[in-house]
Amino acid sequence: MATFVTWLRDTPVSQAFRVPLEWLWPLCESFHFLGLALVIGVAGFFDLRLLGFMRWIPIRKAAEFLPLAKTGFAINLTTGLYFFIASPFQYSFNIAFWYKVTALVIAVANAAVFELMLKSRAAVLRDDEDVPLSFKIVGTLSMLAWLNVLYWGRMLPFWSPPGGGADL
Amino acid sequence: MQEFLESIQYSEFGLWVAGGDTIFAYPTILALHTLGLGIVVGMSAIIDCRVLGMARSVPLSDLKRLFRVMWWGFALNATTGVVLFIAAAADKAYQEIFYVKLAFIALALMTATRIRRTVFGGTTDAGRPMPPNARMLAVASLVLWMGAIVSGRLMAYTQTF
Repeated sequence: MATFVTWLRDTPVSQAFRVPLEWLWPLCESFHFLGLALVIGVAGFFDLRLLGFMRWIPIRKAAEFLPLAKTGFAINLTTGLYFFIASPFQYSFNIAFWYKVTALVIAVANAAVFELMLKSRAAVLRDDEDVPLSFKIVGTLSMLAWLNVLYWGRMLPFWSPPGGGADL
Repeated sequence: MQEFLESIQYSEFGLWVAGGDTIFAYPTILALHTLGLGIVVGMSAIIDCRVLGMARSVPLSDLKRLFRVMWWGFALNATTGVVLFIAAAADKAYQEIFYVKLAFIALALMTATRIRRTVFGGTTDAGRPMPPNARMLAVASLVLWMGAIVSGRLMAYTQTF
């Protein structure tokens, strides 16, 4: 691992991200927070609907807002990759980062389960029908996973290992 | 002024928030502030994008309650924001970007209120056309929230301590 991280840090791309492109960092951070708002807000809205809140909006209609959450996710994957490439030591040896990645994998797998297995059922669900248990489970898991992504992401600077300085 | 700022920053509470030996102090308050941001900007994005033409099959009136969720998110952020300010009052009060952020938030909230009143006003239903300035208000709302996020982020780069 240390070998890979050292290699990544010494690549021309990683070096360029630190200098002279260091101004990209605050810019990407701002976009990372916008993406965060889209994921937490829009996925959270949809998860609440899956749990049975806001029943006056049919699930298949609420799903029309999901492209916003997916856009947010794409923004955050891109900017997140930038952070990692620019400063690999800061993240690789940070336990909060690995908690975040774990939660992220769970959140994405859970969303895939909904897209591939449950979305077709949502399309034919009658407007007055009760939310199936499977929807509630996916919705709960989704909320917990995304909240963990947010929490551990926010914890990154507080768990930063001494080796983080090796990026510079 | 300086005296007042220091008195709150170095009060027992301020010191606990800034350096309390518990994850419930600064890190968790900051995480809650971030969650509130997600709620406020997320709800706003849904409303604004609907006004701009996304998910037309969802009647505007169905989304009216999201304003209430947004206000709860804002209440969370006003509270955690004040606490975070107290923990670094003597520094944040001298950061120009902090006032830029507050201005963006004030304007964004005013825009949200106007959208609620003019676009989601009592008689609005799916069949009623939107007022002509609705799209402009929605774009303004998105831009202003982005401005609040950017200036909030920049606060971390202009700290004096």
